[in-house]
Amino acid sequence: MRGINISKFSKPVILAVFMLVLTVLRPSSFLTVGNLSNVLWSISVYGIMVCGTIFVFLIGGIDLSIGSLCGLCAVTVVKIIRYFEYSDTGVVLGILAALTVGILAGLIHGAIITRFRVPAFLITFATQIIFLGLSMILTNNKILSCLQPELFTDIGMKKIFSFPVPIYIMLLIALISWFILRKTALGRYVYAVGGNRPASRLSGISDTKIMILAYVFSGFTTAIGGVVLASMTQQCMATTGSGYETEVITAAVIGGVSLLGGEGTVSGALFGAILIGLLNNGLNLLSVPSTEHGLVKGIVIIIAVGFDALQHQEKFKNWLNQFKMKKTQEAA
Amino acid sequence: MKQTTIRRLISLGMLGALVLLFSCMSSYYLNGDNLLEILRDASVAGIIGVGVTYVIITAGIDLSTGSCMALVGMTMANVYRYTLLPIWMMLLIGILVGLAAGLFNGLVVAKLHLPEFIATLATMGIFRALTYAIAIRDEGGVITSQAMTYSSFVKWGGAVGKIHYVSIAFVIVVILGQLILKKTRFGTNLYAVGANKKAAELSGINISKTQIIAYMVVGLCSAIGAIFTTARIQSTTALLGNGFEFDPIAAAVVGGVSLSGGYGDIVGTFIGALFMSALDNGVLKLQMNTAYQYVIKGAIIILVVMFDAWYNGRMEKLAVEKGRKEAVGS
Repeated sequence: MRGINISKFSKPVILAVFMLVLTVLRPSSFLTVGNLSNVLWSISVYGIMVCGTIFVFLIGGIDLSIGSLCGLCAVTVVKIIRYFEYSDTGVVLGILAALTVGILAGLIHGAIITRFRVPAFLITFATQIIFLGLSMILTNNKILSCLQPELFTDIGMKKIFSFPVPIYIMLLIALISWFILRKTALGRYVYAVGGNRPASRLSGISDTKIMILAYVFSGFTTAIGGVVLASMTQQCMATTGSGYETEVITAAVIGGVSLLGGEGTVSGALFGAILIGLLNNGLNLLSVPSTEHGLVKGIVIIIAVGFDALQHQEKFKNWLNQFKMKKTQEAA
Repeated sequence: MKQTTIRRLISLGMLGALVLLFSCMSSYYLNGDNLLEILRDASVAGIIGVGVTYVIITAGIDLSTGSCMALVGMTMANVYRYTLLPIWMMLLIGILVGLAAGLFNGLVVAKLHLPEFIATLATMGIFRALTYAIAIRDEGGVITSQAMTYSSFVKWGGAVGKIHYVSIAFVIVVILGQLILKKTRFGTNLYAVGANKKAAELSGINISKTQIIAYMVVGLCSAIGAIFTTARIQSTTALLGNGFEFDPIAAAVVGGVSLSGGYGDIVGTFIGALFMSALDNGVLKLQMNTAYQYVIKGAIIILVVMFDAWYNGRMEKLAVEKGRKEAVGS
């Protein structure tokens, strides 16, 4: 067994244990393709968003505006589809417009934060309020429904091989962001800027450019999330997506992404999102009242992250090594 | 003049400019009653902001303050409804619950080594769920709000003369908080832990103890905030303080407390809380659609933060140049 690092496998272990518990408790309803695809479907918007927002976390920033930006993009796409009288052109233009809004928002965040060196927390806190206000102006505080055309509703509802389209979108985005972070120089620069900004600048990385790109990518995935969300619910209002920022940040941090920057992986963030989805699903299957979800969720988060944090601790590692050595000595 | 003094004057100046701007735009803004109203509205976020400042100085954060308020409020409602304890006992129990909630936060952060953000996000859910679990229900089991109208309790939501009790408490908490931060060993330890954890540990500071006490101070402040809020609205609900957790943090950050730790003080948070409250009040006085209020509020925060950062950068540059000149001169 030597050479196997437990900490590397703690996340799959937690997931497996969790699924095992749910399978034992609800054997007939939990472990079915339909239910698992439902779990993935319900987290796909978080999943899509976290794959882009992770860039912002990796450079040591934070984006509190993603919830209301997601809502603004949803409003944009629905508004334009309705303006073009539910035609396919409207769908294409709407999606393009929503993506533009997302990218522009990211550009503004990035430009202000790098140019003026202000705390990302405050700027995105302020833009969160602004985006909410803009959505309210655009929707005039009404719920806008959008039940056609099929091209639009298919994004959220159509099933390919018994899995809905958003899951494939999530996997595609995850793949892209994994590829950028792991296989390109840009990805390495992102980790470098987050790990030590002055050092990265001295080694010739344009940290401003990397930071702006991170916010732009976050805005881009948030816009995709907004379009998918609008298509899934076939409606939108000003408060669509509000509160998503905490869910996305929770998913990232459960998955081992450090909010101080420089640490975290896409697979970890997706693990966090899936764990949240399973938790919600499990609590519903066990018919726990929604007012008490917070208690169970909080305790599970503390245990899961605490277990992970313990792995990184010197004391625990030393103890584990001593334990292993004793075993090998006994065996000898 | 010292650098920090100038900074303080600048942030006071920005607060003054904001008040001036709104007094030009609305004739209802600049009068004694409204200014006292601004102070009153700043108070609860400011009181909790004092505790949150301690935690942020240690490079932590606390997102559970809103839920903690709800838990304290609901505990007091239970005491009010089901026991015959005197009001001071009820308040004491509320404060103890706040301290216990802070202790729990501190233990999770300091002993389990969870990242502060995720730990307090988890306890935010836990406290809220506990609040629902002990919530007052009617015969049908539906959660209702509990009226708390006993006169010796409700008076805390009122005013002495024209100044509200909560504003007085705010000022006292700010003065105490600033004194503790600047004049005691605990305060110095907070800065040390936030600036460099390793160095603080090596110089013999008990880090977990410092962190736990900081979180308990937040719990205490949340309890005080909960008492004044419930006394003012004369009731409590399970949703008390929902979404409130970012307000104290925003007050602290606007007041110049750095989220990466080791920098900032209570007076800054005091000004920050006043600023946010003056902004809210002023935007409301413009009598516009809520949507436009949101946009204006956000835009003003961005402008102020940008100006502050621009000014800081300039001052730093000047200081560097001055140092260089002195070095050349010698």
